[in-house]
Amino acid sequence: MPSSRSSRKGLYLLSRYRLPYLLLLPAVVVLVVFLAWPLGSIFYFSLRETPLGGASIFVGLDNFALLLSENRFLNNLAASLRYLVGVLALSVPLAYLAAILVSSRLRGAGIFRTVFMLPWIIAPVVSSILFRTMVDPYSGPITAALEWLTGEKFLFLVKPDLAVLSIVVHSAWRSFPFEMLLIAAGLTAISPELYDSAKVDGAGAWSQFRYVTLPLTRNQLFVAVLLITIWTLQDAEGVYSLTQGGPGYVTEVAGVRLFKEAFIYFNIGIGSAIGVVLILLSILFMILYLRVIGAGESQ
Amino acid sequence: MRGRDVLAWVGLVLIAVVVFFPIAWGIKTSLTAPLGTGRLSTPLLHLESYRYILSQPLFVVYLKNSLFVSLGAIATALPMAVMGGYALARFDFPGKRLSVLLLVLPLLPAIAVLVPLIVYMQRLGLYNTLYAVILANVVFNTPFAVWMVRGFFASIPYEIEEAATMDGCSRLGSLWRISIPLAAPGLIAVSIFVFINAWNNYLYAFAFTTSPDLAVLPQALLRFLGAWGTNYGGLTAAATLALLPPALFFLLFQKWFVMGMVAGTGK
Repeated sequence: MPSSRSSRKGLYLLSRYRLPYLLLLPAVVVLVVFLAWPLGSIFYFSLRETPLGGASIFVGLDNFALLLSENRFLNNLAASLRYLVGVLALSVPLAYLAAILVSSRLRGAGIFRTVFMLPWIIAPVVSSILFRTMVDPYSGPITAALEWLTGEKFLFLVKPDLAVLSIVVHSAWRSFPFEMLLIAAGLTAISPELYDSAKVDGAGAWSQFRYVTLPLTRNQLFVAVLLITIWTLQDAEGVYSLTQGGPGYVTEVAGVRLFKEAFIYFNIGIGSAIGVVLILLSILFMILYLRVIGAGESQ
Repeated sequence: MRGRDVLAWVGLVLIAVVVFFPIAWGIKTSLTAPLGTGRLSTPLLHLESYRYILSQPLFVVYLKNSLFVSLGAIATALPMAVMGGYALARFDFPGKRLSVLLLVLPLLPAIAVLVPLIVYMQRLGLYNTLYAVILANVVFNTPFAVWMVRGFFASIPYEIEEAATMDGCSRLGSLWRISIPLAAPGLIAVSIFVFINAWNNYLYAFAFTTSPDLAVLPQALLRFLGAWGTNYGGLTAAATLALLPPALFFLLFQKWFVMGMVAGTGK
């Protein structure tokens, strides 16, 4: 009975394809309508002036020209770069060290892998309140300790350099657990035999790290650095709740500027233009890092 | 060998201090009597700051809003993630390779997407409602949630489902009766992932609501910060209350949560 067999096959194919498409439909519709569509239309809004509730006007590249002519926006980008470099420089070595320690064979080290994740699941507003409490000029334990050590009063959120340091330390504290998690996953995948044979070859602790650990965790390290780079670049919540971008505009990173323009002043045009810059920067970093990983692998 | 162990322990303890000092100091501050109110009186724990926070009429409203938004986000995102994740784990179909976008989309700046969304929420009449906040949380958590669920379903041996289908169970029936119960730990992990993100976020609420009584907890904390300045007792008490649910859920379910996170980054 060939006909009934082929119709059964048709039904089989139909159910095979129709079911997964139907199952995916809700997620796809939501993501297209509320994520992909606005993502595309941000380019449109960046070329227009859009008063809330009113009709928008085409203004060409005016929003971008305005931003680029401003010292404030150039300062925003510089602040973002400073923030990013500081967070990476502080959090990556700490995360690597923590990853090595929590995946060591010490009894009880595993519990630290869990509790070290806490900063990462705390809300940025909450952690910024905790950090403010620590660096208060009058009641903060950090300021008290530094005053006792140096005899000087450290006004953390008032002095420009110290404000930058504050947002960097705060963000590094929040970011290092995630990096640690990824690197530790890479470390646990390394077979112990590799270390044994390295020892037979007379490799010391440093050589073992240099020639076994580091190369074999390189991919995890890159993924961690990539994700933290992108998230730090886009961050507004962590910085805004700690300094509001102050003093002056010293810690006003691009994300905070966007936050103020779009959500406080409802400057949709300027906000979209900054959003476009952030999207392009994020894509640039994605490509850059993928290239670095690719280049490393082809060697 | 022993010297190295000691060194490792010193390292672990030092990092633990870095991790816990801010949290511990915050909790300690929240339990210390405010200046001038019976500092020298006997009880070890002062709950004045908590009483003060909970007596703020709007604080309970903020708590309710946060709960409503977080649970609403789970209730909407989880079914979509279960269906989508199941489709990706169990079926081959044309266009499946596009699912890589689920890993790429969350890397684009949510804060930028919010700008046009403000305009669209206005047009949809959702602006200044908690539904807009729920929707934003769903949108930004769904890609990763689908990916996590996909991983959990993929780790269940297909043979179990096949056996069920042979026994006369339909495809959806086996999803409902076999796969979902088996993936339950993973689905709990995904729910907690969504909960923590929604509970902690203030960007979406800040972007889409203006009425004070629609504020979520983090937004309220920011307002307290602006209004009270250096009332650290009250601030840290509110911060501690906001910190407890995510911390508790995370510590209870961390094993599956961490598994899903690592799987979700494509490793």
